Amino acid sequence: MVGPTASLSVLSRADGSASYKCPATGYNILGAVNGPVELPGRRDALKPEDATVEIFIKPGTTTGGVGERATETILKSVLGNLVLGREKGFPRRGVVLTLNIVGGENVERGDSYLTLLPALLHAGLLAMISASIPLSMTLSAALLGVTTSGDIVQNPGPAAAKSVVSLHVLAFSSKGHLLLNESRGRFDFDTWELVRARALSICQGAHDGDVAMGEGENAASVNAFIRETAEDQIYSDYAHKLDSI
Amino acid sequence: MSAPLVLLPSDEVPREHLPSNKSNPLRLGPGLRLLSQPTSQAGDSNHVLTATQAGLLTTDAKRNTVSLLSFPNRRYVPTVNDLIIAQIHHSSIDFFHCIVTPNTAHALLGQLSFEGATKKTRPQLKQGELVYARVQSVGVGAGAEVELTCVNPATGKADGGLGPLVGGMVFDVSTGMAARLIRASSASPDNTDAVEGLVILGELGRKLESLGGFELAVGRNGKVWVDCSNAGESAIAVTVAIGRCLQETDQHNLHPHDQKKLVTRILRDLKLAS
Repeated sequence: MVGPTASLSVLSRADGSASYKCPATGYNILGAVNGPVELPGRRDALKPEDATVEIFIKPGTTTGGVGERATETILKSVLGNLVLGREKGFPRRGVVLTLNIVGGENVERGDSYLTLLPALLHAGLLAMISASIPLSMTLSAALLGVTTSGDIVQNPGPAAAKSVVSLHVLAFSSKGHLLLNESRGRFDFDTWELVRARALSICQGAHDGDVAMGEGENAASVNAFIRETAEDQIYSDYAHKLDSI
Repeated sequence: MSAPLVLLPSDEVPREHLPSNKSNPLRLGPGLRLLSQPTSQAGDSNHVLTATQAGLLTTDAKRNTVSLLSFPNRRYVPTVNDLIIAQIHHSSIDFFHCIVTPNTAHALLGQLSFEGATKKTRPQLKQGELVYARVQSVGVGAGAEVELTCVNPATGKADGGLGPLVGGMVFDVSTGMAARLIRASSASPDNTDAVEGLVILGELGRKLESLGGFELAVGRNGKVWVDCSNAGESAIAVTVAIGRCLQETDQHNLHPHDQKKLVTRILRDLKLAS
């Protein structure tokens, strides 16, 4: 299976940006972060000691609707909690993340946004990293569907997602803690437990498997992919410094 | 020095990478924080240093500091003692309200914080004019105001060219590039060859010497002010050439070898090369 591709700092005027492409679902997301900025109005009044995180999702061909607003709330509960809003220069300021759906099939009105959620999470996280927003941890997410025969399929596209019995999005921190669990459809606890184990191994790489794992297996995990993307950008940005070492 | 180490948020700084200078306490630079891991025994806790941003870990054994070099495109967050280029937005009775970065609150610059300024001789700055200033304080607590000054409060002098910037033109560069330019100029004032991988200023200085040279001020907020009023008729072309050289070096992250080529190409394009 082809892994996702991503690049950081693609926009020159934003403070941080990332483009993320997932070939399995066909989604292409462009994320931009500006922060810390002054927010209009008194939106900081609820948490005066903390930074406010605002997330906007812009679909490629239509204007945003109820589905986008609901997804923004989910993303805000995950990414907003990663931001260390009490670091210097951040309290009472805003961090604005805009996620533009550049490529991939449109999510029809009323359809579930779950298939898009991992791509949005990864693009948002990478854009935040690129803007050097202080974060408490990194995350990685996985999209899994359970078919009628009980098989677990990874990254079903919007068309394939229509035929599955249940659809799950799970996000884990870099240390393996569960951060997000969004599910849709009919399933029982045993199925969910299987899905969770599978998602964890996708995100973290086969950790506690009985087979001794090698470097190559680990490189396929989503966590390792995010680390590699950030490292590549740092190495190319600081090539002048690394050359002299 | 050991192999370069890139950290991501929540990564711990390995103990063997910390400088082993015991004479003064370890100082943490930006991007790092100290956390304590509670252990089972009461009263005993392990301290760990974790990263809050993605970046390259750098240590300075002499000053006993450890810091994280993050992405150069980031937004500038005012820090005490930084030199910045601010633009006057409006003035009030006591202060000039200045723009440091777009979409952030105005920084305050006292009407009398200029060299030799009294109530009668203070500079009359208009909207849009530029000052080269030092960040005096960033305040305490949430949403505090940033205060700037154009004078050293200890000596009453404007050290290092602080004050209004007259004439010239401002170019935007990334904050990382601005920091590099400042480090390159402070490392060796007379020989800027290959400091921080930047040969562009030395090269431009050599090539433009016959045209009267140029003056440069770099603000940590990602602004470079260029003035070549000595260049006479070609002043505008020289200013544009310097700005374009700096911006292209920044955007394409050019190698010293390519920087020299870029200078030659741009000077030829603008018909400045003799």
